[in-house]
Amino acid sequence: MLSRLLPERNIHFTSATLTWREAITQVAAPLLEAGDITPEYVRAMQDSVEAGGTYIDLGHGIALAHARPERGVVRTGIAMLRLREPAPLLDLPEHAVDLYFCFAAADADAHMRAMASLARILSDADTRQALRDAGSAPEVTKLITEFEESE
Amino acid sequence: MKFLAMCSTGLGSSFMVRMNIETIVRELGLDDVTVEHSDISSAGPDSADVFFVAKDLEDAAQGLGDVVVLNSIIDMDELRDAVKSAAARHGSV
Repeated sequence: MLSRLLPERNIHFTSATLTWREAITQVAAPLLEAGDITPEYVRAMQDSVEAGGTYIDLGHGIALAHARPERGVVRTGIAMLRLREPAPLLDLPEHAVDLYFCFAAADADAHMRAMASLARILSDADTRQALRDAGSAPEVTKLITEFEESE
Repeated sequence: MKFLAMCSTGLGSSFMVRMNIETIVRELGLDDVTVEHSDISSAGPDSADVFFVAKDLEDAAQGLGDVVVLNSIIDMDELRDAVKSAAARHGSV
């Protein structure tokens, strides 16, 4: 499920120092290029953080940027951006995030299934650490595939 | 006894927390616990026995009753301790 929604082309690494807004724009870029989301969805994700939405901070340096399906999702997809330098949400040090996911679900049903699959993998302490340690897109893909096969 | 995971939209993090609580409830064999999730604005003091929120909703959740504030919604160790003590507070071990 997750391996299909988060293909290798949606997984990127950067050593640039980014603001949280830039990080959201960059993590969403592959979905935007593929036509999975519209530019409105990127703005909607940024607006929700701006409005105090540090709830996208999952802990362990991981954030899940998302907005409502009707704000510009064309096809369900997930993208990932790993930063060398954290881009703290709303510039708050207590929300330092260096692993951004962009989550776009086309409808409520797809939303639940994709969220469930991401929650399982991120809540597994060993896999979560391995994801943080991974240095390339193929490594991330391998981890996810192995995790799904072990379930 | 009912546990309710809440977030501001009722779509994202509350669903993740609910899934993780359900896993722990099964693991601990807490047969009398039901788990649901919702957005915080539609929850009231009678909605559940224990309310689980992430840090950003700590203030908004005050007044609901027994509120558990989580540092990380994907940390199973933290959540397991929180579920155990919540169950103990409400008479289930």
